[in-house]
Amino acid sequence: MDYKEILKNIEGICGAGSLKAVANGADEVYVEAPAGSFNKLCHAFHKTLNSPVMMFFAVDNTAGNASYRLYCVFSGAQACGKWFFVYFDVPENKPEFNSIAKEIFSASLFEREMKEMFGIIPLGNPDTRRLHLHPEVWPKGNYPLRKSFKAGSLKAGEKKEYVFGKIEGDGIFEVPVGPVHAGIIGPGHFRFSAAGEPIINLEIRLGFTHRGVEKLFEGKKPEECLALSECASGDSVFAHSLAFCGAVEKINSIDVPPGAQYQRCIFLELERMYNHVADMGGIAIDVGFSFPSAYASTMKESLLCLNEKLTGSRYLKGINAIGGTGKSPDKNFLADLSAGLDDITQDFNSLKEMLLSNVSFMDRADNTGILRKKTAEDLGVIGMPARASGIPNDLRKDFPGVYAKMNFKAAKQNKGDVLARLNVRFQEFEESISIIRQAMNLLHGDGVPGNNTGAGKPGFALGYCEGWRGPVLYWLKINEKGFIDRCKIVDPSFHNWQGLSYAVLGEIIPDFPLCNKSFDLSYSGNDL
Amino acid sequence: MRTLIIISQTLLLIALAPLLSGVIRKIKNNIRMRKGPGILQPYYNFFKLLSKDEVISENTSWLFRAAPYVVLSSTVAALLLVPAAPFGFGMDLMGDFIVVVFLLALGRFFIALAGLDAGSAFGGMGSSREMFLSSLVEPVMLLAVFTVSINSGSTNLSAVYSAPYLRLSSLIAGVALFIAAIAETSRIPVDNQETHLELTMVHEAMVLEYSGKSLALIELASHIKQIIFFTLIANILFPAGAMLAGPALNLVLFFIKLLSICAIVAIIEVSIAKMRLFRVVDFLSFGFVISVVALLVSVMGF
Repeated sequence: MDYKEILKNIEGICGAGSLKAVANGADEVYVEAPAGSFNKLCHAFHKTLNSPVMMFFAVDNTAGNASYRLYCVFSGAQACGKWFFVYFDVPENKPEFNSIAKEIFSASLFEREMKEMFGIIPLGNPDTRRLHLHPEVWPKGNYPLRKSFKAGSLKAGEKKEYVFGKIEGDGIFEVPVGPVHAGIIGPGHFRFSAAGEPIINLEIRLGFTHRGVEKLFEGKKPEECLALSECASGDSVFAHSLAFCGAVEKINSIDVPPGAQYQRCIFLELERMYNHVADMGGIAIDVGFSFPSAYASTMKESLLCLNEKLTGSRYLKGINAIGGTGKSPDKNFLADLSAGLDDITQDFNSLKEMLLSNVSFMDRADNTGILRKKTAEDLGVIGMPARASGIPNDLRKDFPGVYAKMNFKAAKQNKGDVLARLNVRFQEFEESISIIRQAMNLLHGDGVPGNNTGAGKPGFALGYCEGWRGPVLYWLKINEKGFIDRCKIVDPSFHNWQGLSYAVLGEIIPDFPLCNKSFDLSYSGNDL
Repeated sequence: MRTLIIISQTLLLIALAPLLSGVIRKIKNNIRMRKGPGILQPYYNFFKLLSKDEVISENTSWLFRAAPYVVLSSTVAALLLVPAAPFGFGMDLMGDFIVVVFLLALGRFFIALAGLDAGSAFGGMGSSREMFLSSLVEPVMLLAVFTVSINSGSTNLSAVYSAPYLRLSSLIAGVALFIAAIAETSRIPVDNQETHLELTMVHEAMVLEYSGKSLALIELASHIKQIIFFTLIANILFPAGAMLAGPALNLVLFFIKLLSICAIVAIIEVSIAKMRLFRVVDFLSFGFVISVVALLVSVMGF
């Protein structure tokens, strides 16, 4: 379907007259919301496209026209293969708007984020608490993403305690865990309300590693920021840099040569593979099943060694370049990769057999931590856990790009329990091997990938890719001088932490680590 | 002379107790393709902890400080009643099974109170789980013990050990006791000693507040408890009377028995996942059924 037809439908639903829509790049449509109809319009897009709020963010335009522009992003993948950006302006002197979170729950975290970062108040959002900037340490009245806020200019102001949701009743007690944990993981505070062992409520508080990444991008040249994007989330190095490069390339209309596209595809899948196999082992060790876990860790290590052999970096850093992959592969590239895949395929089959044929393990994984489809849809859960709950979404299918040439099936499970999430990993691991092999065949005899650093045009665009956890999105705006004006990053963890807090309800406390591992969300990807 | 032998045997077993944990860990690591720490690591840990300062929460009472001593002394007292390798002397006055069971219960009672004392969420969780599990483990232990006592006509331990041959009912009781031992020594599938996940812990969660010397004592007590169980199982499943060997050979045989139990425990630990907490009820009920069967078989005269 053409996107214009969808816009017609939506005009009909809203009754707000004809909409002003502009196409940007190949797959983005920007729709200006007429005064007073932003909420209605967002709701119409949400329902028509059956898409959660993928991004909802503000851009500071106070220098030009004394306003903040709010963009709410929906994915129209199934309907017409476009991203829809609904936008409207909020005046600088009265920064507030009517919350859309009451109708579209997946917008609520974004609204809280906007409130603390820009001071734009979502009127009517039921949760008025801060999200990432903890009130205990960050004084009131400082809005870091406003252009007027400079590093080191923190104004003194009121500080206060964060208030947790309170569950009361007979025999209900609270178990606070973290933010410092026993393992080598990021910081997050988990507050369980439990009646005996069963969990009645879980509140997750994050933001302890908030580093102001989005602010760090501002005022820099795109090529300077490539390394920064690689550091946004340590286990999704390639996905983040790929999404960032995608945005820069779109703004500058750079065509990435096919050879480079295939290479990128290979690296993205290698990243998926090493993370998925680490999680398979992680799920096993969280139920005390230590042999498969040890086995999986040797597999992860050999994948990391393969990465190093192919690229010189275990975690795939420093490979991506704007416009390509920087360099053409070595002459041994294909042979090494092929040998590596052969080994890992064998190991993978043993690992899968080991886990799925063990009764004591299956007893733990099956039926534990169920995230129902409806809940996942309402919360805007995306990526791998969404696929485990029966929601078909995979950017590699939805906005394929180079993946259009690959023959693969998107993983799908329906139950939404730990086992379903494990099975999604198994399926994706197998598909990744197949995708890499197909990309290797296409890579044969192809030209040297380009390396374009002449990126200086102004404009804005969305870069994206399906990382191993789910969609990684970068919305980038470059100003007239060629500097980045705004960079909005959404890592799938931002959406999915909420999914976890619903999946554990009714489970017993000792099963929480297992459920947590089956989502394996990123702290740093959330606390950008 | 007899006193001397008993004391030296007890000291030997106390000195040996941490080694068993080290051996089990070593076997597990070898199976998992890991190098891991040497078998003497539990000793290093013990002496390291002894030389460390202790941090004690201000919210605790005297109970928290006293508990490690109660636990250690009650466990050592239980050990005094458990003859290891029969040296060919009578210890009729020394050992009674039932006293062993209750001495261990005394230690557990105090450690559970200490877990609650600091008022931390993990301690409370651990104590509640430990009490829940021990209410299921103790019947298994007692019934298994009764079976063996009927077979030997006495609850006295040395009488049990000097059974001339292994009776079928004693074999079944030994298996039930093994199930109880897995729970009592916090091993997979009931508990996991290696985990860092506080939310899944049972025994470890209770002692999470302890550090320094107190922790050293508690860990030593756990090692001793483990050797008590392994000794009991070893001597019930392989009664010494059948071997008609001299004390020296008996001692060697005793060590071989302990080592093979360690190996079995280690292999079980790496080859299955930990059970869901409430599923442990099924597991221990299974142990209870086995011990009932043992009792019936014994009454039937086998």
